[in-house]
Amino acid sequence: MFFKIIAKDEVPDLVRGIATEYEVIGPQAKGTAFVFAPLKDPADLRLDYDMTILPAKRYILPERETLMRFSVEDNEVVEAELDAPRRALFGLHPCDVNSLLLMDNVFLDGGDPDPYYKARRENTLIIGVSCMPAPTCFCDAWGTDETHRGFDIFLTDIGDSYYASISSVRGADLVDRFAKGRDITAEDTAAFQERSAAFKAAFEHEIDTSQLPVLLDAKYDSPIWQEFGEMCLACGACSTVCPTCYCFDVHDELDADQKHGERVRTWDSCQFKDFAGVAHGNFRDSRASRVRYRYYHKQWGYLSRYEKVLCVGCGRCTRACKADINPPRVVRALQTGVVDR
Amino acid sequence: MAPRVVVLSLASDFGCQVQITNMTDQILDVLGVIDLTYWQLATSGHLPAEYDVAIIEGAATTDEHVALLKKVRETAAAVVAIGSCANIGGVPAMAREGDLEERYATVYGGAAVAVGRIMPRPIDAVIDVDYRVPGCPIDPPEFLRVLSKVLQGLKDDTPDKTMCASCKLNETVCFFDQGQVCLGLVTRSGCAARCPSLGRPCTGCRGVAPDANLGSAREILVRYGQDPDELDRLLRIYNTSREVPV
Repeated sequence: MFFKIIAKDEVPDLVRGIATEYEVIGPQAKGTAFVFAPLKDPADLRLDYDMTILPAKRYILPERETLMRFSVEDNEVVEAELDAPRRALFGLHPCDVNSLLLMDNVFLDGGDPDPYYKARRENTLIIGVSCMPAPTCFCDAWGTDETHRGFDIFLTDIGDSYYASISSVRGADLVDRFAKGRDITAEDTAAFQERSAAFKAAFEHEIDTSQLPVLLDAKYDSPIWQEFGEMCLACGACSTVCPTCYCFDVHDELDADQKHGERVRTWDSCQFKDFAGVAHGNFRDSRASRVRYRYYHKQWGYLSRYEKVLCVGCGRCTRACKADINPPRVVRALQTGVVDR
Repeated sequence: MAPRVVVLSLASDFGCQVQITNMTDQILDVLGVIDLTYWQLATSGHLPAEYDVAIIEGAATTDEHVALLKKVRETAAAVVAIGSCANIGGVPAMAREGDLEERYATVYGGAAVAVGRIMPRPIDAVIDVDYRVPGCPIDPPEFLRVLSKVLQGLKDDTPDKTMCASCKLNETVCFFDQGQVCLGLVTRSGCAARCPSLGRPCTGCRGVAPDANLGSAREILVRYGQDPDELDRLLRIYNTSREVPV
């Protein structure tokens, strides 16, 4: 890793430079909210955004992708092209950078990585940017408020400039060519530390995650799950906006002429009733069992394999859930035994 | 032999059939794989004695509709209900609120319309339905997906879930956060949350999702400073014929 100071007014040129080689995706305003979207003009880039409605996962694992096209008559694959454009995700917060590392464990782990995910991931440049916590943020609870890898460039706001951490050859090359920059000084590093301390001090809530896996184990039959189940709309908004929810469905669709078709992969959600539907019924028929399952997967199952929880505290589900079910509230209920009202 | 298909209309504004004619990119492909023997809106002639697939738009509002549906069920191997009227009663079923005769008198005066009229109802109140394409009007891509299942003999898989997840995919700013009530909270998904993406809250034309949680939805209206009865009032547009559980 090495460091550079990039003045804020150099960022548009950096974006324009990167855009000559990558499709740049960045946070932009949409009504009263923010979204990651292809950037047409560097002036639209809102690095001061608090949170986007959807995370950037759709650019690595799209909500719908064609895995192959086939011929019905010949029962043959006719086309299996990988769609993996060169993209730059410009402006991911530490939580979102960390979320991609958690997804990597699932899709790249082991001897048989997912080729679609892998190709996109490798062609995607990651440029992170520092943030200040929104009221819904709780990344500090999981230690995902910092990131030390998983990016090419990370920009920490130190006033008029960014303290740029550069951790890849391609990142260094882009900064070299498209940002003037200057070397860091001791004052810059002090400003960086100050900013980091201010960030840590700005979290409004503290979440007591102590002994969480034990609590989950011990409270599998707790009435809190019934209560959350009564609240849950089973709409799947939580997992749709989650940067670490990766479950998908695969099915075939035929063209109108019924001669050719495509095999598509689409996002799925454990909150949908048909998710666990099998030939003889459904092993998670109730909403309560599905809400519980989501938390056990994220805070217990994944943890037991990868030593991390499958949540980065981005708070998107907190905002998306109209029924007001969210990790801080669930963790509080596990600690106290009651769902707070 | 290509499956013989008929398209029938009961009480409706024919909007769903117009949507079928609007499928200009695919309609010739579709016609290449079916034998369209009768289409009330677009062909002359009479309903043939034999056919394999019946696509039906509209609610049942007369004795004649009921008799036709029973005949169709005996004849067709597959019955496909298209649109809100056929699937959930839709707008015609608004007449269920209050006195039917009074409503007819208000609208038609003394004219001799709708002989043998009955309380409007969705077609599954009369016969079994095999496939559904909900919505007012139907969404052509969804119609094609369902038609493909009919032709391939696959089972119907109309989504049972509500709308919010597909709305998130569109990154639409939630209407509840803008002080408006949206029926997407309880309405069957599958339309890609089109109305919200175009700036209008969901009005429930696809019907209440089997997996909807109406009790929680009413509490959510309260939490967002809305009158909880507003949910049920809005559901009356399309969902009057449905027994809405508390």
